[in-house]
Amino acid sequence: MAELLVQQLVNWITLGCIYALLAIGFSLIFGVLNVIHFSHGDVAMTAPFITLGLAQALATALGASIPAWLVLAVPLAVLAVGLIGVLLDKVVIRRFRDAPAMMALVATVALGIVIRELIRHLYPQGSNPHAFPRLVSGMALEISGVAVSWFALLVVVLTVALVTMLFVFLRMTPLGLRIRAASEDRIVARMMGIRDARVFRATFFIASAIGATAGLLFASYAGVTRFDFGVMAGLLGFSAAVIGGLGSMPGAILGGLIIAGIEVLAQTFVTDGASYRLVFVFLLVIAVLIFRPAGLLGRTVMEKV
Amino acid sequence: MLELKGVDTSYGAVPMLRGVAMSVRPGELVCLLGPNGAGKTTTFMTVCGVVRALRGKVVVMGKDMATLGTENLASLGVGLVPEGRRLFPSLTVIENLRLGYDAVSGRGPDFAAQLDKMCTLFPRIRERLRQVSGTLSGGEQAMVALARALIGEPKLVIMDEPSLGLSPKLIGEYFEITREIHRRGTTILLIEQNAEMGLGIADRGYVLVKGKVAQEGPAKELLSSKAARSLYL
Repeated sequence: MAELLVQQLVNWITLGCIYALLAIGFSLIFGVLNVIHFSHGDVAMTAPFITLGLAQALATALGASIPAWLVLAVPLAVLAVGLIGVLLDKVVIRRFRDAPAMMALVATVALGIVIRELIRHLYPQGSNPHAFPRLVSGMALEISGVAVSWFALLVVVLTVALVTMLFVFLRMTPLGLRIRAASEDRIVARMMGIRDARVFRATFFIASAIGATAGLLFASYAGVTRFDFGVMAGLLGFSAAVIGGLGSMPGAILGGLIIAGIEVLAQTFVTDGASYRLVFVFLLVIAVLIFRPAGLLGRTVMEKV
Repeated sequence: MLELKGVDTSYGAVPMLRGVAMSVRPGELVCLLGPNGAGKTTTFMTVCGVVRALRGKVVVMGKDMATLGTENLASLGVGLVPEGRRLFPSLTVIENLRLGYDAVSGRGPDFAAQLDKMCTLFPRIRERLRQVSGTLSGGEQAMVALARALIGEPKLVIMDEPSLGLSPKLIGEYFEITREIHRRGTTILLIEQNAEMGLGIADRGYVLVKGKVAQEGPAKELLSSKAARSLYL
């Protein structure tokens, strides 16, 4: 029993970290633009395809195996997805920042479909699932008789590092301060000389690059990637952000851990729980929307006179 | 420093300003008065470039606002105090002030020296620097909003109803500070509903009624003019 609990604990933390990274992107973009970027999951899941494509191209051109080129392909894919996010913001999303929520919803859902279909048609055999390697393999340590993989450690370390870097960036750099100001009051931010375009560019780059990292970990955890994985990744990441409170970074992390916790609990303790795990997850999302629409750590602003 | 020439604006189909013409010259403290709904905040928003003029011209520091974004005003030396203070509530007082400093300054005296200056002008701020600004009292927020506009040493400060919601004691203190800032050489456009206090410290005034300038002149004349008093009281 102890072994089972430790094993599930490891699974929970690994999965929770991946969902948290996905949720951070939703929260960051919503916090700054007040737009729910429903194609964020699809943007994130382009990263495994770009990685595979790059590694294959490098292996073909320069020799050596595909896994050997992952060291180079992974950071390049993260950078590329960050830039894709900036481009999508400039071309599509920014135009809906002051539009009714329904328009932004339809536009970003449509954008997600465009991204998926482009992967399907442009990537060789894009309709089929593609094996995605573990970014690191082997067992790192043993806890109560349970072997903890290097991959699980990598996920935790990467998540902690990215969250810390994001925290430091937002709290301690001039650009971070401007992003936080713009997320609170865009009109007054402009009165303070803050340029919307720079804030949006930085926000989309960071959110998309973190999303790309989550997408790579997601594919690596599953061992496979598919053109439509972005739908599920997006729904889970968005749900985590909603549970934690859209716009709240700690909320995104908490939401990710809660969703992963429910998934793991359902798989462990409910008969045929693996099939039902999403039922529990989305029932919780509905419950949060009913009883605590602002999410568990959602922002409330006091107005004093 | 600031000129509006025959400015019309509207919110959708609702006209707000109709042919508004006014000016603020260097070194002046000009008060724009008017009852609720007269278009005072619309004038502020139009001057800032948040609301675009449909007709006429808005010139700030020699630049036409038709081609200038709101975000460029600060670097021209314009400090803004919007209605309701509008501090960034989750940011600390010092972070709010830093944004105000970075907006206008850049090359001037360093931030620490300017911060110290603001804390001398507004002593209550000093002990609140690390506090999240959304938790300040209304009076403290008003002081921080003014300090945020002043910390970069702007040439022109535009204030929109700064006394709104303040206690009578705080209003007196606030106007005294505004008078002191003007005395030190800062040009000010004060948009106010409190006519006695506003005109009491101003050089000139304009009375805005239903989106039009109904009366203008030296502050003392407006304060004693029966016609003007009937418009804003």
